[in-house]
Amino acid sequence: MSLSASIPQRNQIAVPSGMSDRWFAILLIVPAMAVILVFALAPLIYALDVSFRYADLTLGGMGEYVGLDNYRSVLADAAFWASAWVTVKFTLGAVILEMVLGIAIAFLIHGATKGKGIIRSLMVLPLATSAAVTGLFWRYLYDTQFGLINYFLGLLHLPEPNWLGDYTIALWSVVIFDVWQWTPFVALIALAGLQALPREPFEAAELDGASTFRVLRTLTFPMLAPVLFLVLVLRTIDCVRLYDAVAVLTRGGPGTVTESMTFYLYRTGLKLFRMDYASTMAIFFLYAMLVASLFALRPLLTQFSTRASEG
Amino acid sequence: MLQRESTFAKEALRYGLIVIVLGFIVFPILWMILTSFKPPQDVMVSPPRFLFTPTLDNYYHAIVDKNFLFYIKNTLFISVTSTVIVVVAGALAAYAFARYNIGDGHILFFILSTKMFPAIAVILPYFLIFRDLGKTSVGRFLGLGLDQPGALIVSYTMFNLPFAIWLLVSFFQDIPRELEHSARLDGLSRMKVLRKVVFPLAAPGIAVTGVFTLIFCWNEFLFAYILTRKAASTVTVGVESFFTLQGILWGPVAAAATISVLPMMVFVLAMQRYMVRGLTFGAVRG
Repeated sequence: MSLSASIPQRNQIAVPSGMSDRWFAILLIVPAMAVILVFALAPLIYALDVSFRYADLTLGGMGEYVGLDNYRSVLADAAFWASAWVTVKFTLGAVILEMVLGIAIAFLIHGATKGKGIIRSLMVLPLATSAAVTGLFWRYLYDTQFGLINYFLGLLHLPEPNWLGDYTIALWSVVIFDVWQWTPFVALIALAGLQALPREPFEAAELDGASTFRVLRTLTFPMLAPVLFLVLVLRTIDCVRLYDAVAVLTRGGPGTVTESMTFYLYRTGLKLFRMDYASTMAIFFLYAMLVASLFALRPLLTQFSTRASEG
Repeated sequence: MLQRESTFAKEALRYGLIVIVLGFIVFPILWMILTSFKPPQDVMVSPPRFLFTPTLDNYYHAIVDKNFLFYIKNTLFISVTSTVIVVVAGALAAYAFARYNIGDGHILFFILSTKMFPAIAVILPYFLIFRDLGKTSVGRFLGLGLDQPGALIVSYTMFNLPFAIWLLVSFFQDIPRELEHSARLDGLSRMKVLRKVVFPLAAPGIAVTGVFTLIFCWNEFLFAYILTRKAASTVTVGVESFFTLQGILWGPVAAAATISVLPMMVFVLAMQRYMVRGLTFGAVRG
């Protein structure tokens, strides 16, 4: 025990001085931790408290404790489940499209011999824009009268849908917008993954005369898997939290066909002022995201950080 | 010969597809910029006009009539203040995590999990807390009430710190420990090592983190929408003010959107080497 303590540890800088390394490190994290603890935990505790009360802001604010009543009514609320279903459909549609297109585009660019710099520069542009601002402008693109999208479809003699007004299409119009904004992100990550692949296994496979499909299946994709899983999880978490695009494109409509969980939460809390009900949904939501990041995100990120420190 | 023709055909197909993809990606933005220069009579027409005499009318309307620069000013103040706080607090903490392994990764992950919170889930408590804080004298002094910049600065600091810490940890890990070690042996205090050795070496990473944070703050919508009305509104909310009873003024909307998006595009282009790294919290070094 005493022996191991006297050996300087790899991640510590062993120079004797007044303050121990540990205290110095704790001092450094105090400002950030104070902000995070206060401003992440305070609203959490607040929401938890409200979720056990009766709280209708139109009737004078915080009421008495009602136990699990809010939880029961949320679980029995058809509109809550409908919004959950909207969120699932959106997430599945957007994530699958973004992954498939993003990976395909990455392969396309990876094989290009010239102009990669310019291609990448143009690809990152949607990532610089705010979904609230460009999403708003997409309403103009989707417009049935003046919109560019239907104009092009008309030129090709294709049907010209009412993108944001049709019950069966509106949600997919939001998906298309998200795909426009985030496919470049998937493509850039997949491209970075492709470019970081070692050459030797591929040269060996070529010597052995392995088919392209076989190389993809046994070499490329398994080696890309960690990066692709990471981007899959990040995109999924983001899509489940979808709010901005719905808020500016459809405001949940027509009817409630594009009302995601976040938008339903917003509407009950800040339009109907049922803080109790909205807070209960927020707790459900937080719990789901916590589970997702704990079981999906953490192992992936740990894998990357250990790899980086080895490399 | 045949071999060469088939590779040429393949290349032509590849670049053809790339051009189509880039067309989809760039066109909405390009159309927005074009629309911002259109005279009013060319904006709401069917079929859309591609040729027109460019004018600055929409910019005049956005800036003079709608006072859009007011939102730019608010956004600039709120984003820059949040970014400075995030980068300073974030760099100190990230260094501690990267070098001293505080909390054995658990605290670091707890920090990231707060970033995964859906903003909408904490916005109701924030709304109520800031509403009450704004009525106290301290809250009023610090501008922490509803429709005051302090409320947004606090929210943005909170929501960007986790991201910044993770990204900065990855940058600090790239700096060889030996340099700090020898500086310590030369008798520099820990704080001096941090100031004179570590931070200068990490400057590019710190700058990248700062720019990312600035972009996220600048583009944020939900907090700005719910916590402000007018006095502290930012660009993302300001654009919404172009909705009038007569309908949406697409020309001025395009002008305002262009003004608010262009600076961020310049930043993103300057940093594209770090895009992947930033958007994966430093995990993929690209």
